[in-house]
Amino acid sequence: MVRIVVDGREIFVDEGKSLLQGCLDHGIFIPNLCYLEDMEDPPGSCRMCFVEIEGMNQPVVSCKVEPKPDMVVNTSSSELLRLQRTSLRLLLSNHEAKCKACPSNRRCILQELVKRFGVRIRPRRYDHIDREVAEDIEHPLLQIVHSRCILCGKCVHVCQRQYGSPILTYARRGIDTIITAFGDVEAMYALCETCLACVEVCPVSALLLREPSGAIEIPADGSPEATIPCGGATP
Amino acid sequence: MKLAGVDEAIVRHRQLVDRARRRRAEMEHRELPRIEIGMATCGLAAGAGATKEAFEEACAVNGLHFSINPVGCLGHCYAEPLVVIHNPGFPPICYHNVTPGKAKALVKAFLQEGDPLYEFVLGAMEENDLIPAVTDFPRFHLEKRVVMERCGVINPEAIDEYLAGGGYSGLLKAIQVSPDAVIEEIIQSGLRGRGGAGFPTGRKWRLARDAGGSHKFIICNADEGDPGAYMDRTLLESNPHQLLEGMVIAAYAIGADRGIVYVRAEYPLAVERMRTAIRQAVEYGLLGKGILGTDLDFECTLFEGSGAFVCGEETALIESLEGKRGMPRHRPPYPVQKGFRSLPTVINNVKTLSSIPHILKHGARWYSGIGSPASPGTAIFSVVGKVVHPGLVEIAMGTTLRTLIFDICGGVPNHRRFKAVQIGGPSGGCLPESFLDTPIDFDSLTKAGAMMGSGGIVVMDEDDCIVDVTRYFLDFTQKESCGKCTFCRIGTLHLLNGLHRMTRGEGRDTDMEMLRTLSEEIKEGSLCGLGKTAPNPVLTTLKYFPEEYEAHVAEKRCPSMRCRALTAFYIDLDLCARGCDACVGSCPVEAIFTTVSRKKAIDQAKCVKCGECVSACPPEYNAVLKVSPPQLAPVVERPKEE
Amino acid sequence: MSHPSIVSEEEESREEIIGLLQGFSKGRENLIPILQTIQKRHSYVSGLAMKLVAEHLEISSSEVYGVATFYNQFRFHPPGRHQIRICLGTACHVVGGDIILENFERKLGIREGQTTPDREFSIERVACVGCCALAPVAIVDEATHGHMAPSRVEGIILGFQIEKERLEREKQAENSEEKELGENL
Repeated sequence: MVRIVVDGREIFVDEGKSLLQGCLDHGIFIPNLCYLEDMEDPPGSCRMCFVEIEGMNQPVVSCKVEPKPDMVVNTSSSELLRLQRTSLRLLLSNHEAKCKACPSNRRCILQELVKRFGVRIRPRRYDHIDREVAEDIEHPLLQIVHSRCILCGKCVHVCQRQYGSPILTYARRGIDTIITAFGDVEAMYALCETCLACVEVCPVSALLLREPSGAIEIPADGSPEATIPCGGATP
Repeated sequence: MKLAGVDEAIVRHRQLVDRARRRRAEMEHRELPRIEIGMATCGLAAGAGATKEAFEEACAVNGLHFSINPVGCLGHCYAEPLVVIHNPGFPPICYHNVTPGKAKALVKAFLQEGDPLYEFVLGAMEENDLIPAVTDFPRFHLEKRVVMERCGVINPEAIDEYLAGGGYSGLLKAIQVSPDAVIEEIIQSGLRGRGGAGFPTGRKWRLARDAGGSHKFIICNADEGDPGAYMDRTLLESNPHQLLEGMVIAAYAIGADRGIVYVRAEYPLAVERMRTAIRQAVEYGLLGKGILGTDLDFECTLFEGSGAFVCGEETALIESLEGKRGMPRHRPPYPVQKGFRSLPTVINNVKTLSSIPHILKHGARWYSGIGSPASPGTAIFSVVGKVVHPGLVEIAMGTTLRTLIFDICGGVPNHRRFKAVQIGGPSGGCLPESFLDTPIDFDSLTKAGAMMGSGGIVVMDEDDCIVDVTRYFLDFTQKESCGKCTFCRIGTLHLLNGLHRMTRGEGRDTDMEMLRTLSEEIKEGSLCGLGKTAPNPVLTTLKYFPEEYEAHVAEKRCPSMRCRALTAFYIDLDLCARGCDACVGSCPVEAIFTTVSRKKAIDQAKCVKCGECVSACPPEYNAVLKVSPPQLAPVVERPKEE
Repeated sequence: MSHPSIVSEEEESREEIIGLLQGFSKGRENLIPILQTIQKRHSYVSGLAMKLVAEHLEISSSEVYGVATFYNQFRFHPPGRHQIRICLGTACHVVGGDIILENFERKLGIREGQTTPDREFSIERVACVGCCALAPVAIVDEATHGHMAPSRVEGIILGFQIEKERLEREKQAENSEEKELGENL
């Protein structure tokens, strides 16, 4: 156990865990979008989980910090808020917020953060950037709604965990980056049919089951009918 | 701890050097004319291949015997193709812009009849009584050549030429002392990484040496991606063995057993010459198992980078070596602890590694005596844009920008006024005239808001629009963003869109503020060096040239009349000559028509503003004028067709 | 990747690609060198090629696709017979490299990165070809054209078209000669 002080509160976190996880374990919320607990090497790409650490001259992402004894951490300051708000606004400017038509409506991480940070779901500061994408190959089971995708990469992570060499991948580059699949459509069908972990993990309903899906069973997960629209819920 | 077999190595190296010198002496002894042609990429692009053929043909026709030696690049891009002729009885003479026609003339006049054709001469390569030497030019005597000393002088494809000039003797010096002593020497020299950030090389090596483990890597980063900087390419093309020697020394110092030269695939000639150099070094026992008969093993391979600017970032470079998408990783861990294949890895730039042999050969004290105390040594810049003599220049650190731009590169051509200089490529900053006396070193440039970066320098004159050039650099970094982190992926596009709006006359009142705050946040929030430095051009130009931005946004006017949406061409009917047709044919879109007065006018709706008509209009009229904002252009109706 | 002639070309390349793959061990580190080798041989990397590479390296096709689409170097469609590359390095930009690019695009009716429908020309932008003293620069096939001007664009393309027509005429003439010869016999 490592003793650290977060926002004036003394906590003991497990060794080997990241600062972010340590805080989350103790009910201290730090916003995050691309992090999952079982990630060995979190990508640190969403740039939301910034904290200030005494002795460091600028904010750092807490998912990449290993807690050191007696570390003094601050999770909220105007400086952090500014960075987190910008990060969120940038993501939103590249996200099609048609919430009413979205299965994630009211359980959406973006909506939650919007409320928390007091920014608009369609930020005024930045123009909207469309994510119109033509895919080279369409996945036989999964519909990837690029306009919703925030590229958190959780789907690629769970896919990799399942198969080693994942079926879902990042493709292209920069602002054109997408999550997609490529290869033999039948093989994809066979592998994905029994898994669908990616659909489950997607926080913004950017991964949906294609319709008509009839025969495909939905993995048991509390509220499948809410996560996976069986017909009719495409935007 | 001393390396086994050092005495053997000294003997072997001596033998190699002696043999190389014997071969060179034989060549020089034959009393035949020798023609050296600069055949690096820049020379070839300027037509060195055709020049070489012309020499060969002319000599064959005239029945002359001679030898042609393809050499690397001297860095004088403005004078390519560059040829040095060693004609017995004359000093070696350098000729500039040697076209095939000039080549034939030179063979006839100089090689056959002994007339050196003074009108084509750039200068003699050494002091003599006959022809002024090139060293009299500021371009030559203000330079301080260390790393580029042999570039353009030796044949890069012949290891013997490198050896004959004392090549690989730095390595020999290194292995006679302990690895720790080599690292100490580099620390003492004060050498800082030439890749841009300026991290002390000796300290990096120390960390890698201390990292432990039996396998380590040394990687040479030659993934030069800055559009307009080509010093790394030139070093690979003109003196590849200097780099290899530096790598072997580094390997010995940190205890690496494998090395990789990571070269952009867009540099086919550099790739080819590097492969040749590696093959030759292995043949000569200077690479591979038991180097020069010692216990030192070092294997070196070449990897072709697939064209992603972000791979210049060391963690992204490693990802791409591992066959993945070149997306940077979070640091720490640093590659010196956990790099390629999770092993300790030192990644050094071409210029850094190419400096190493010289430091070993001449000592740390000699090196730290060059340049300024905090940034010792030399720096290589590619100076392009609005200068009389663009090209590669090696100068001692601490030289001022003014000396570099005005004395060495000849200043701004065509009597235009200097406006700004962009240093460090897309990650660098743009400095105005008041900074011309800034000494060029890591700390002064950083303080001014620019950075050493890749070493690309772009000189801009009054015809260049600051907003447009900033847009150009942002366009580059935005396209090259890997897309991993939010700030760089989306933030740079908002910056670019803002700049685009301004250059199109659609700038909003809030745009300057948006650029400023978002730039600061991208700098702070991005994951890797590319994102952290991408806003630099925006921030420095906003700081030093706010009036240009204001003109674009508030007045929809481009002060340098460069932004095409904000300018218009028109033909002054008082200046235009009746019946003259010179401009009509030059227009690619048929926008020029004849008015009722039989003079010409431009259809603004059709005009693409390429400026061809300006150059086509005879100088005695100069009737095509340019204005900004475009509404200032008088409207001339196209006569109705009958 | 849907054009029938291209699909049949892809199929033809199958054996050859499998042959090329034999020269590489199965390590993931070989992925980029393999793709480079394929592109060098076939001038582009087809969908089939990516699948074959994935099989060889025992990774998913998706991963190969993800890597290949990340890098500028890889092309996924066959380029034109004549490749026009416009330098848009810094030195070329400040003297109007974009205007040269625009002129080629206008003349050929395609955008950079595209190939004309007759697969005769394709246009690419390159970051810097390193002959900044000659800016603006266009490289057409192997020839470097320095100090380019918009008015020279038409001439370059016309040159190729005339050459093509000449070849076609010669071919026709040969054919008709052969025909005549045949008839006479």
